[in-house]
Formats: sequence, structure tokens, C-alpha cells
Amino acid sequence: MTFTLLARCPTTGQVGIGIATYSITVGLYCTGLRGNTGATMTQAFVNQGNNPLALRLLAQGFAPEHVLAELKANDANHEFRQIAVIDRLGRLAAYSGSKNRGWAGHVTGDGYVAMGNVLAGRPVIDAMAKAYEGAAGISFERRLLAAIEAGRDAGGQVGNDGHLPERSAAVMVYGDYDHAELDLRVDLHDEAVAELRRAFEQYELYRGYYKERARNPKDAIPQFAFAQTLAQAQEATR
Amino acid sequence: MTYSVIGRCRRTGRLGLGIATYSLAVGGRCEGVAANVGVCKTQAFPNRTNDPLGIKLLAQGYGPTRVMEIFAGNDAEHGFRQVAIMDRDGRVAAHTGPGCRGWAGHKEAADCVVFGNGLLGPQVLDAMVAGFLVNPDDALEYRLLRAIEGGRDAGGQGPADAHRTERSAAIKVVDRRDFPDVDVRVDVHETAVDELRRVLEEFKLYEEFYRGRDTDPSKAIPQDVFAKQLDARRVKEPA
Repeated sequence: MTFTLLARCPTTGQVGIGIATYSITVGLYCTGLRGNTGATMTQAFVNQGNNPLALRLLAQGFAPEHVLAELKANDANHEFRQIAVIDRLGRLAAYSGSKNRGWAGHVTGDGYVAMGNVLAGRPVIDAMAKAYEGAAGISFERRLLAAIEAGRDAGGQVGNDGHLPERSAAVMVYGDYDHAELDLRVDLHDEAVAELRRAFEQYELYRGYYKERARNPKDAIPQFAFAQTLAQAQEATR
Repeated sequence: MTYSVIGRCRRTGRLGLGIATYSLAVGGRCEGVAANVGVCKTQAFPNRTNDPLGIKLLAQGYGPTRVMEIFAGNDAEHGFRQVAIMDRDGRVAAHTGPGCRGWAGHKEAADCVVFGNGLLGPQVLDAMVAGFLVNPDDALEYRLLRAIEGGRDAGGQGPADAHRTERSAAIKVVDRRDFPDVDVRVDVHETAVDELRRVLEEFKLYEEFYRGRDTDPSKAIPQDVFAKQLDARRVKEPA
């Protein structure tokens, strides 16, 4: 019970993930992103060893199809997994094992995979793909967010007793560095996708400040003063 | 302004980090926790490349003291950073640059280093150490949380006339595998440390279910069924 957009941005070469699920603290499992290497995610019944292994195989030069084949060959329970692998060129492989529960499937496009399980149906992943592609021209992280919002709005997850809320969500982007450019999470919430949007819009206001403060510490204004400036600016535009 | 603890469990060898701050989404800037290698955290005016570099140097066999010297030589603004490093054997190094603002300092104790800047005063660090040491047999994630809660209760961030709330907080613990054992976050909140305890306690209720479901999927009950059983138990045993 999860819906995910995993992608490599064809414009910037960044790799990223947007993910939402009924499970809590899903960001803990999103260990499959590395700049200049690729992106991978195993979900449904997770094998946590998959993401680090897949990244190492990609870094060694294996193609996504081969990496996926290795993950399957290495795991007796692979039919329970749902897996996507994208390399630094945007080549990709995806797999929804036959023992995923509920409606499960994936759709692929230019450098991206939309995938999910225990979903309302195929329209959920189609809506995610459409939103991701339709948002061309805006930042990569906003396209990832738009995708999971579209998945939610198309019905999201459906369990035994009907619709299941998103209790956790995350959006992450890696670029040139070996640390994340964006790593934002909501771990436990009744409307995690809406909360993730709220957190993202707050964080966006601070991103440039944090970057500049680290680069040029001695000229940095205190963060509380910056926050007050923000509040005044918001008040003025109200 | 931030207060943090890095620590090691002597029994299990697990390594971890606990952090709380006025800044948003601090857990997204904590890459330096690696199983069987060590912990490295740079804060105050953080140099984001320090922590991945520190982990790589520790993995190559450098000790924490030498890693810190290498940081100093590699960063023109080292004087504005606050850094703590611990290797898998529990050896540590800590640095509070003179450019850190407000009251800033670090303190070493058994199996931990606490460090912070923009704090009320040294009593915050003392309370963090006390929190970490109070139940030495607890799982490392709870010891780290106790340390942060101690820091909060001792006044946390800001001078007395300008207290600053914790807007984000995180706990990360690694065991032997190359993915985290515990990794819980609060990214944007008015009382992030309180919320972090709520998230960690909920996570601990699910931890075994998630592990079992993933290692033996054919026997797993659906998660919404598990959640209902959990809620029924909660009604029977109110907190």
C-alpha cells in the first residue's frame, strides 16, 4: 500500500522520489538515491537490502534490467516485492511481483516510473504519470510532489475496508553531491501528503538562506531575524 | 542554534545521532551515520560535504582526531563549524569553532558526545548527558531521545529572554546493516521534540510487524488489520 514516483530529471540529471503510503515513517526506506549513479526503490513487502545493493550494482556499471534481474535472483520472496531501477542516463526497469496485494502495477515514461500497490486502481498511477509529465517547466521536486498529490486525488490506497489514508510521505532529490539536495519527510500524520506540501512550502522559503549561511557564515543574519523578515513579507502580501 | 548527541551502545555496537533545532527539516542533513564505521555530524554553519567525507575517512581507517584535523585543513570556514565525530570503537573528537554564535560548546561522556550552539548555557549539555546516561540498558534510540528531551527541559535554545522552540528533530540509529535501523523525523513543527517522541513510540509499535512482513511476506496480515489490533490493545491498556 504505497504510491511512488521515482525519476531522473532529464533536464538537470538529478534523481528523486516522491512517495506516500499508509505505513508510517516511509522515508526510512528511501535509501536508493545517489547523485551521478541512479535511483531505486523496493516497496510493497520491502527487502531493505535491495536499495544499497542496487546502487552498488549501478555504480559498477550494470544496466537497470540486469540490476533488477540480480535483485530477483538474490531474493526467494521477490514475487512479493515491487521494484524500480533507474540509471544516470534515465534507462529504467520496473517490476510488480505477482504476490503484491490489492491492485498493483507500474507505468513508465521518459526517465520515470510511477508504481503502487493496494491502490484504488490503474487510474492512480496514470494520474501520477500525467501530473509528473504535465508539470514540465517547474522544478523537479515540485513535479514529484505534484505526482503524489495526483495519486492521492485519484483515489490513492484502498484496503479491505475501503480507502486508506496516507500516514507518511517524503520527497527527496539528489544532484551533484553525495548528500541530499532535498530530503523532506512527514513520518506520522492523518493527511501526510497535505502536510508534506505544507512542510515543503515552508522549507522552500529557507532553502536559499541555509545554503548561503553555510557558504558564508560570517555575514549570515540570525535565523530568527530571517524568520521575522519572512513573516513581515507574508503579512505585506496578504 | 542546535543541540545534538552522538552515541554508541556498548552492548550491541549500534551507533546513532539525536538532534533538535530551530531550523527546519534538520533530519534531511544527517548523512553521517554509518553502520560499522561511525558517526559524524557538522552543525552551526554546517559544511554539507563534511559528513560524507568524514564517514569515508573513518571507513578508510583514520581515527576521529585525524579526521577533525583533515576537516580543519579542508575548509576555510572551519572556525564557524561545530563538529562531533565518533568511530565504531567509541573514540571521539569534537570541535566548537569560535565563530559559532550564542552559547556554544561540547561535552564528552561515556559512549556519547553532546554539542550545541545558540543555547541557554552549559546546563543544557549537562542535562543531555544526564538524559543519555540515566537508563544505560535502554535501546540506543531511547537514550538519544532522553538526551534531547533533557536538553529541551534544561532550556534548550536561545538566551533566557529569547527562547527558541525546536521546529525540527530527528533520531537515527544504525546496527550492522547498510540501511538504518531507526530513522524517525519531525521536519516542521511547533514542538518538534514532543512530536518526535510520539513518532518514535508509534514506530516501535510497528517495527516488528514491518520486519516480519518483509522477511516472511506469505504469513503477513494486512497492515490495516494490524493497526486495528493495535488500536484495540490501546483501548485495553490506556497509556
